[in-house]
Amino acid sequence: MSEPPAIGIFLPGPVRYAAAARLQEEILHARIADEVPDVVLQTQHFPVVTLGRRGRDEHLYCSPEKLQELGIDFHVAPRGGDVTYHAPGQVVLYPILRLDAGRTGSHRYLHVLEEIAIRTAAAFHVDAFRREGKSGAWTASGKIAAIGFRIRRWVTYHGLSLNVDPDLTGFTFMAPCGIEDEPVASFRMILGKKCPPVAEVMKELHSQFGAVTGLYPDRRTPESLDDIPALREIFQRFVSA
Amino acid sequence: MQVPAELLYTKSHEWVRVEGDSAVVGITDFAQNQLSDLTFVELPSAGDDFSSSDEVAVVESVKAASDVYSPVSGKILEVNDRLEGQPDLLNSDPYGEGWLFKIRLSDPSEPDGLLSADTYRQSLPAEN
Repeated sequence: MSEPPAIGIFLPGPVRYAAAARLQEEILHARIADEVPDVVLQTQHFPVVTLGRRGRDEHLYCSPEKLQELGIDFHVAPRGGDVTYHAPGQVVLYPILRLDAGRTGSHRYLHVLEEIAIRTAAAFHVDAFRREGKSGAWTASGKIAAIGFRIRRWVTYHGLSLNVDPDLTGFTFMAPCGIEDEPVASFRMILGKKCPPVAEVMKELHSQFGAVTGLYPDRRTPESLDDIPALREIFQRFVSA
Repeated sequence: MQVPAELLYTKSHEWVRVEGDSAVVGITDFAQNQLSDLTFVELPSAGDDFSSSDEVAVVESVKAASDVYSPVSGKILEVNDRLEGQPDLLNSDPYGEGWLFKIRLSDPSEPDGLLSADTYRQSLPAEN
């Protein structure tokens, strides 16, 4: 039995983190129940600091109350990984993807996400690479992509964030990913005026996700899901919330 | 990818070694490799009851957290406390010192429904 094709959906956003987290949970449960195919979400968030489930407060230099005063939300996420920051100008890629045998081959999913980030950066002439013992994608100017995901019933959710043109000052409130004294970089910092628009980077991430996983998601909008009623309903609830 | 012939398996990549009316449970070589270097394990407590396919533990690497499901129903007899200080045993010896817990089977025939080593191996991706 062949799997139905994966679906790729861009929510240009920004979307509040909590709303996107609920959306992911709903898609996750539908994916576990095999009511929907693999779904690859992309969006941007309003400013938010998130802590992984084992993330440590000491890596956050600022109280959640103080963050709130600065207009930054705070959430503990069910993903792995430590503390990170999301904001408009940063693309988040959330593949809700069955990791069972044969889907991403025998490569580790972490490696797959890193590869997608590195190839996407390269497409815009940003030289990104892996660093031994430090996950994510790095450039000579600092970390450009962060990774944290959760697996339930061997379906993964949460994923990858890639800094295109966010206000990076939000990262100064923390040791990103629990790593002290490592700078954070963005496409804007490296490319200046040649920095591509977020929408262009989403398209490239979509293509690179397809190339790296071999899944080639079918690009849809929340309005063009009539053939997958369970997914259409999830997005209808999301849009009306 | 190691798949010892004498063990039973689940589709969610747990292994089971039946010992009389109890069973030892862990995660497979495939699972530990997919999750990479494990840094934390959340184990159940002795005396806890689980039904098959209940969430029973969480294993976490630097960037990933993954649930572990009970392959069988029963009461937890013992957990592998060493994993608290040495979660890397799950990576270095998933079928031995990296075992997770021992469970008393509420139905000794339940393991009959698990996968054989051959069936489980066939479900794994071809190695590159």
